[in-house]
Amino acid sequence: MRYFLLSTFAAVAASMPAVAQDAAEPAAERSALDAEVQALRRDVVDLNRDLFMLEEDLLFPASTQIAVFVSMDIGTFFALDSVQVKVDDKEVANYLYTERELEALKRGGVHRIWLGNLKAGEHEVVAFFTGQGTHERDYRRGATLTVEKGVGAKYVELRISDRVRKLQPEFVVRVWE
Amino acid sequence: MLRKLLIFATLTQGAFAAPVVEEAVPGLPAVKVQDLHYGDVLFHFYQHDHFDALVRLAAYRDQGRLAAHARDSELLRGGLYLSLGQHREAQQIFERMLADPSTPPPVRDKAWFYLGKVLYAAGLFEESERALRSSSGTLPAELDAERQLLLAQGLMYRQRYDQAIAELEGWQGPRLWLAYGQFNLGVALVRVGQKERGLALLDSVGQIVTEWPELIALRDKANLAIGYAHLQAGEPAAARAALDRVRLSGPQSSKALLGAGWADAAAKQYEAALLPWQELQGRDLLDAAVQESYLAVPYAYAELGAMAQAVDYYEKAIAEYDTERSRIGESIGAIRSGRLLAAALQAERDGREGWFGQLADVPDSPESRYLYHLLAGHEFQEGLKNYRALEAMSKNLSDWSDSLGAFTDMVETRQQAFRMRLPAADARLATVDVATINGRRDELHARLEAALAERDLEALATEEERGLLDTLAGVDAELARHPGDAAYEDAREKARLARGVLLWKLDSAWKVRSWQANRALRDLNAAVYDARTRETASSRAREGAPERNAALGVRVRNVSPRVVALAVRVDAAKSAQGHHLADIAIEELEAQRQRLDEYSVQARYALATIYDRATADAPSATSRGTTP
Repeated sequence: MRYFLLSTFAAVAASMPAVAQDAAEPAAERSALDAEVQALRRDVVDLNRDLFMLEEDLLFPASTQIAVFVSMDIGTFFALDSVQVKVDDKEVANYLYTERELEALKRGGVHRIWLGNLKAGEHEVVAFFTGQGTHERDYRRGATLTVEKGVGAKYVELRISDRVRKLQPEFVVRVWE
Repeated sequence: MLRKLLIFATLTQGAFAAPVVEEAVPGLPAVKVQDLHYGDVLFHFYQHDHFDALVRLAAYRDQGRLAAHARDSELLRGGLYLSLGQHREAQQIFERMLADPSTPPPVRDKAWFYLGKVLYAAGLFEESERALRSSSGTLPAELDAERQLLLAQGLMYRQRYDQAIAELEGWQGPRLWLAYGQFNLGVALVRVGQKERGLALLDSVGQIVTEWPELIALRDKANLAIGYAHLQAGEPAAARAALDRVRLSGPQSSKALLGAGWADAAAKQYEAALLPWQELQGRDLLDAAVQESYLAVPYAYAELGAMAQAVDYYEKAIAEYDTERSRIGESIGAIRSGRLLAAALQAERDGREGWFGQLADVPDSPESRYLYHLLAGHEFQEGLKNYRALEAMSKNLSDWSDSLGAFTDMVETRQQAFRMRLPAADARLATVDVATINGRRDELHARLEAALAERDLEALATEEERGLLDTLAGVDAELARHPGDAAYEDAREKARLARGVLLWKLDSAWKVRSWQANRALRDLNAAVYDARTRETASSRAREGAPERNAALGVRVRNVSPRVVALAVRVDAAKSAQGHHLADIAIEELEAQRQRLDEYSVQARYALATIYDRATADAPSATSRGTTP
């Protein structure tokens, strides 16, 4: 009886998963199926890259393309909720940010909030930022820029940054060529 | 023998610990973005949307939109391939960067680090070590800490514990990494026989005060390892103290409860041992510790001389083992019919974040009952990861297939619209002669220049003034036909006066008018420029449109067969992967069923032994019972 119990105990101990099984365990030899999944993933990435470019060339050719991006630095004085973009008084984007997206923005990510087409000439881009300012006060601010659309693609950055001296957020609209 | 088994089990080669970097290290330094499109890639990367980040990165790179981040983006591309498990692609990228002599040292160090990580993941520890040691010391603290741990773990996998100890001893790093370093150092020390020092280090990890889930999990693992090591060394009190520190709800809790019972039993505290063992009995019977508890409880009762309870519990164990075996049989049937994967994917959809942790609550149906247990297995997890990737690829290709249909229609519609609108557009363009307008503008410009140079007052006269000037010229001509005639003298004087007044008015208005004329000319210049630009754009659009549309049509047509061919391959791989997963699951469940069979046999044997002894002792009514 004792022998049986001890052997059971030992078996349990031996079958106990490695103490830190979730450690980065190196992959053993990859099976043919693994290799096929790898090859497929690479091919699907390549295909998606080609389709991504094709879609853009088709729907948003460079001659009329305009993209609006939202970026943010530390964001101490402003907790962003949403951004609304109007072009020539017509709403083209209204985006509500998740916590995860805000974290990505704070770490240097830039959100392409709108990709569209505009004909050559002058256009007015207006952005409204909604969120909470200092002391958890609701905050809505607008920023306007007149954009001269030429023959090449036009990129507009809506940047939210901290104006440390005034302890206020700052909203800057900038055009990239 | 038992001691060796325990040490092997608790401090085995796979027992090294490393944190999950992205999840565990908050607040990585923010990036100063110099290309908006690079920022867009990062936006997806930081949300762990690695596939989308990689696709965008590859596209933007080919479109030349990442010029300011050429090296960073290449490093990121390698890292993304690495995170998707595409080791070969990642390795090629890092090697290419290292072969480029212009790569600056900080980027080079990161490339060495990631290359080392790729090689480590592929199990190429020698090569990995060489790469990791090639960093020249410019790595950020977090990466350098990970590098140090990878180095030590690679050595431990090759059983070079002394070298691993040398790497980790005295090493200081960020808190999370330090805890893992101490854990691994403790394991390495135990492996080389320095048990006391090793256990002391593990003990320090086992007593960490933290709210960080990953460190709490590490703390549990350390305490479990210490507990079993003491148990094996015949130190039940020390074992109990360490095992008591393991959380009751964590993944190590069943093993800790089993060990705690054994610690009490080793101290002859059988009643105390019953407490943790009975706690185990309500848990999942596929857990080895739970299976063990069904034999341990009656063993304790037998030791206490409570033979009736021992018999009851052995019978209960046999019944539970039998029920579980039949449930496993049902589950194997369900898995064979292909319902396991649907359940696994459904559980994932319901759980989203941290879905693995929530699988303990999956429905108690044959196909999903053992999911949590199966997912604890590395091979099944990896297989399911592949299956999920294939499922995502299949959906991705299906979506693109729909889009391509729309793209084809779009190109055809554009071609048709172009053909229809062309005649009207041509007719309209024909009415516009920008060259003539341009010529007239040049002529006007020249006239104004001359008038301004000569201060030609009449050149800026209004229509009315011009009429008056013409009238005066007529009067002057008439007067000229009567030279010296005194009868016209009065008229001559009036004409001279009128001309003088008119010229005075023109002279007074000269400044304003010349400014206005200049401005009007500037406006004209702008208008002519716009007209010229539009004419150029129109004719370029007119001339290039058919070719551009045709080229887009060709691209759509060329890419369509690629989508179809890939979809066929993905479906085939998905089906094979599904079968593979079912095989792994069935194999695992069969092994469990066999183990339960063995336990059941052992319980029956123990029961028979008790009955035999009871029969043998029957004449003596005061017998105490068995001595196992």
